[in-house]
Amino acid sequence: MLNAIDKQILKEVADLEGIPKGAYNIRKNGELQGREVSANINIETNEKGDGIVIDIKPGTVNESVHIPVILSQAGLHDTVYNTFIVGEGSDVTIVAGCGIHCGGKESEGHSGIHEFQIKADAKVKYVEKHIAIGEGAGRRILNPTTKVFMAENAQAEMELTQLGGVDEAKRFNEAEIGSGSVLLITERVMTEGNQTAESRNEVKLTGTDSKTNIVSRSVIKDNSTQDFYVNLTAVARCYGHIECDAIIMDNGRNQTVPALRALHPDAELTHEASIGKIANDQLMKLMSLGLDYDAAVNRIIQGFLR
Amino acid sequence: MLELKNISFRTPESDAGAQSLADRDIIHNLSFTFESGGFYAITGPNGSGKTTLAKLIMGINEPTSGKIIFNGSDISNLPIHERSNAGIVYGFQHPARFKGMTFRDLLSIAAGSDDEEKLVEIISRVGVCSLDFLDKPVDGKLSGGEIKKIELATVIAKNPKVAIYDEPDTGIDLWTIGPMVELLKREQKENKTTTIVVSHNKAFLEAADTLLLIRDGKIGYSGDLAGAVPILEDLSVCTLNELCQGEDDAQCYR
Repeated sequence: MLNAIDKQILKEVADLEGIPKGAYNIRKNGELQGREVSANINIETNEKGDGIVIDIKPGTVNESVHIPVILSQAGLHDTVYNTFIVGEGSDVTIVAGCGIHCGGKESEGHSGIHEFQIKADAKVKYVEKHIAIGEGAGRRILNPTTKVFMAENAQAEMELTQLGGVDEAKRFNEAEIGSGSVLLITERVMTEGNQTAESRNEVKLTGTDSKTNIVSRSVIKDNSTQDFYVNLTAVARCYGHIECDAIIMDNGRNQTVPALRALHPDAELTHEASIGKIANDQLMKLMSLGLDYDAAVNRIIQGFLR
Repeated sequence: MLELKNISFRTPESDAGAQSLADRDIIHNLSFTFESGGFYAITGPNGSGKTTLAKLIMGINEPTSGKIIFNGSDISNLPIHERSNAGIVYGFQHPARFKGMTFRDLLSIAAGSDDEEKLVEIISRVGVCSLDFLDKPVDGKLSGGEIKKIELATVIAKNPKVAIYDEPDTGIDLWTIGPMVELLKREQKENKTTTIVVSHNKAFLEAADTLLLIRDGKIGYSGDLAGAVPILEDLSVCTLNELCQGEDDAQCYR
């Protein structure tokens, strides 16, 4: 049964008001809470029993899968290995995410290892939100890993969001992009208090005419720190771009390290990175439209992390 | 209606620290009253203090001394947003660009409503922006002209009593300047908007009821355009010829 806190977490991480339509798998405190498959999307526990395999049939279009994780048991550190097989020519949305409710002194954590095998001509949108709530003093730890392997002419759009509440996050994203395939990654992270977040990304453009755009938006409040590393390697004629922007507030600290490696003469790689406070001209503009200083800051941050 | 009383604005020379001896007067003991519903053009040579003066009215710059009275109230110490909510709105010469903010967002903030019908009504009232602008991000990808049109629309959406436009024609194509002048005249006439335009453009100088010529931080002239023409012509003549003329090491001292 889902209690009020579970429902709140589901709403925040997966925009769900209750049990979703279509295929889903809800995991709570390391155990299966509910599962539904559809004619085209199968979900099974993997052989080892430490995760699930989501198998999307070739040609499946306009369907979605929700696989939220709820954690509300003090002292629990849950690790799952989930594999997504996105069949040829399919077009699907996958909504993942983890919500921690911490009510006690002990820490709680979740490590989700998600592997995507995206077959030729498939299109997938992956939305992953991480939140942590609750009044407990225990540390909330989220260490997600995402591995993406794309065949030919596939498209993947990944939105990875963590907006506050998480004390410690270590993210690792890895991708290999085949011929004619396009991978778009947008990572949005807001930290506050004494939180730390680290994101490491290894993206390889392996196929001819493969493309990627990696966007990172960071807001670092109070005494928190965020570090963002990305290594973009090209071994074929391809195009890749990295865009990292960090807004520092209070005593926040940030390290942003984009690296480009072209191992093919026709590789085209670019990056732009910026770290700084909220631009004064943006504040002036919103204040000249009637917002006070705090409201102007909020609107700028909201937009930046949207 | 909007009265500037003995306004001065002084700033430290950038390379001389905060020593008062090295301070530079940008605006010097300037007084002027903008009458309600009037159309004013502020012009003058580069560096004369036009933009500084406009920013002093908006509260972006704080005067070193003097007072600003708006509809009988002293607004000299009011922050920008309070002046805005009192009816003074400013169109920037170089508008801010945002990551993650659309024209719709800015327009909604200005209009105080995100009602689609209301926003569409504002866009048709402004005329110079097309409807498909609405969901455009106001970021670095917009052209100089596009962002200026958006800036203009956000000012009008706020329904200002006093609208200040700092060089509204920067980056605007020749075909839009005429409609832009007509728009500001229409807003002045229909909504009684007191309009203050900082510009060098003849189209705006001709549209204004009163022209303010700023020189060295003071009002060198105020009145109609006809009276200003001889002074403007004089300003366009170089007085440094003796210094720069010659075949060797010729350079411009202006």
